[in-house]
Amino acid sequence: MIRKLANVFRGQLKYNGNSFQNVPPTWYSETSKAFYCTKSENESQAQNDDSARGGRGKSNIRKPPLPAIQNPFANVTNKTKESYLAMLEIFEERDVHRRNHVEFIYAALRNMADFGVEHDIEVYKALINVMPKGKFIPTNVFQAEFMHYPKQQQCIIDLLEQMEDLGVMPDYEMEAMLLNVFGRRGHPLRKYWRMMYWMPKFKNLSPWPLPNPIPDDTLNIAQLAVERMCTVDLRSKISVYETKNVQDSIDDTWIVSGMSAEQSQLLRDHPRDKAVYIEGPFLIWLRNRSINYFTLRADPDPNLLQSLQEDQEDQDDVSRLKAPFFGASIPRPKNAVGKNRSVHQQEDGTIFAICATGTSTKDSLLSWIRLLESNGNPTLGEIPVLFRFKSVVTAKAIEIEDKAKSDNLQSNPSSKTTD
Amino acid sequence: MNVLRSYISRGTSGVLQIPEVIVPCFIHTTAIRKTFWEKEKKSGYTSNVTLPSRKDLIVEGFRELKKEIQLWKDEMKEKLDCDPILVYRPGETDVVFNFKNESAFDNWIVTTDADHREGKSTAKLEMSSGGAGLFHGNVNSEHVRDGIVKRTGYANIRTKRVRRSFKRESTYDWTQYNTLVMKIRGDGRSYLINLHTEGYFDIQWNDVYHYVLFTRGGPHWQLVKIPFSKFFLSSKGRIQDRQGPIRLDRVTHFGFSVGAKNNMDGPFQLEIEYIGLEFDPNHREEFAYEMYKTDKYIVAT
Repeated sequence: MIRKLANVFRGQLKYNGNSFQNVPPTWYSETSKAFYCTKSENESQAQNDDSARGGRGKSNIRKPPLPAIQNPFANVTNKTKESYLAMLEIFEERDVHRRNHVEFIYAALRNMADFGVEHDIEVYKALINVMPKGKFIPTNVFQAEFMHYPKQQQCIIDLLEQMEDLGVMPDYEMEAMLLNVFGRRGHPLRKYWRMMYWMPKFKNLSPWPLPNPIPDDTLNIAQLAVERMCTVDLRSKISVYETKNVQDSIDDTWIVSGMSAEQSQLLRDHPRDKAVYIEGPFLIWLRNRSINYFTLRADPDPNLLQSLQEDQEDQDDVSRLKAPFFGASIPRPKNAVGKNRSVHQQEDGTIFAICATGTSTKDSLLSWIRLLESNGNPTLGEIPVLFRFKSVVTAKAIEIEDKAKSDNLQSNPSSKTTD
Repeated sequence: MNVLRSYISRGTSGVLQIPEVIVPCFIHTTAIRKTFWEKEKKSGYTSNVTLPSRKDLIVEGFRELKKEIQLWKDEMKEKLDCDPILVYRPGETDVVFNFKNESAFDNWIVTTDADHREGKSTAKLEMSSGGAGLFHGNVNSEHVRDGIVKRTGYANIRTKRVRRSFKRESTYDWTQYNTLVMKIRGDGRSYLINLHTEGYFDIQWNDVYHYVLFTRGGPHWQLVKIPFSKFFLSSKGRIQDRQGPIRLDRVTHFGFSVGAKNNMDGPFQLEIEYIGLEFDPNHREEFAYEMYKTDKYIVAT
């Protein structure tokens, strides 16, 4: 398709007598006339313009000096993959020598993000394709050993490094292209082989795989986040609620809640007179997206922790050996059969549920508690629920205030003495 | 020589007087690396700590002598006792770094890119409310585009160099174990576990074995077990072509890193309760990465 588009474009060029300055500016604006022309050329152009306007005085209006090399990618109005590839096509067609192709590739790499093509292997291949084939292949040992055409090789190494940084995996066609450009002893080839060795090893290493790219919708991110946090208990159930069905709720938003049957049971067994807390907001990252979540938790059960401490017998301690031959028989270890400690019962508290809401407000969290209560946890109505908010904003404000204070002290130390 | 001198003088004066003329000069604004030889371990990233006066240093030295002699005494006692652990029972974790007590934090050093004015990241290692080590802060990939620094945005913690008495450098000996065990609570980011195996020669100064620490995020603690066979060698952040299993008797530092790569700027938080070692008899793997025979003069060039 791109080839077709490029052909269409080329046709247009031919029709216009091969001077692309006259192409009607569909995606290519007029300001980018100076497509990699030098400073002197620009100046002469400017002078021509002046003289054409007819003696308006050269000296009165002094134009700011133009940069020596203009960035052709900055002036494109319609920034898409098609226009990006068409730019490469223009550059390739412009002249036989493809002068400044290293600079062109660097400029193209820098502007990839604006065109939204930085994760596209096809575009990287098109960029490598700008390099002439066969010219940079070393013909003797010394050339091979001393990095033949170093600027060009470094340019492609940088391109490959950008791919590596962004996690774009090269393919075998790219290897063939690099072989054609730099020969089998080229440094870009070595980089490519390294990438092909290591990148597949790390690509799917994470035990919590994520879609690539991460969806933009906050609800989807919240679902992914809560699912991820709930992998600690396989019986966890993720449910998505709408708050508009809840009585007295102000916010109309969504709530993603995660809770397992075990947590439900723990909540049922929780003493009615002890409060549970809604804590948060805490942050969880999913690759480069982060989202706030809240937990419903209670203080740790001291009896349980105590019993766990008692069970632990130091097996290395030989000072108190219990021999079965004398006296009473060895007491059976306590709680050998009995309640097991759940993963949710931690030293720092018992976790009952996790949620993420669309607005992260107290009102939406209240709706969450009501929804939990009506969905299989009726005891929540009898237990006092307290908010324990960790406000990021106030903490930041205090930090800034402290800093301002210390700065003041530093700037005028005399104020200290007057106090 | 004269030509060079004239170039230098022209180069310096030229900058002052005629800014538009670009003089081909031999003075470089950036450091040029002529060889791979390294003068000192930090490769120029030295800390500007001004030493106290010589007198203070002597006084401080005598003060430390007492502690060092005590250390030496303990060492000699252990040597004479000659009572090594011979059986490493499977499933038993020996804790190396415990964050339960406040004194454990003295052993760690926090660094960020802001230390050398190359970035704006902040980081701290302190005791959390739950009584564990909390490595937290903010990574920021924003930096001054000075043409030298390409990427920024990292925070790092590392233990101090393990040593014997009288400030003699030493190494950890973890040869009896094959698994790294950690109890952590992260924020969903992935962290880098760094096992430094600093060697004697300059090319070994930056040898670090890495592996990724994926954190689940959420309020639950996470028990991580990573076999040492998974760690791979890198130097100055580049994975090396010539790989090999880690020498566990040469470990000099242990650390974690976090980066702001690919728009991951923002706060981070890693809570560590302990870092321990375990011997797992079922894990037989020596090195997780296959090693191919390649053409001559391609690898490590």
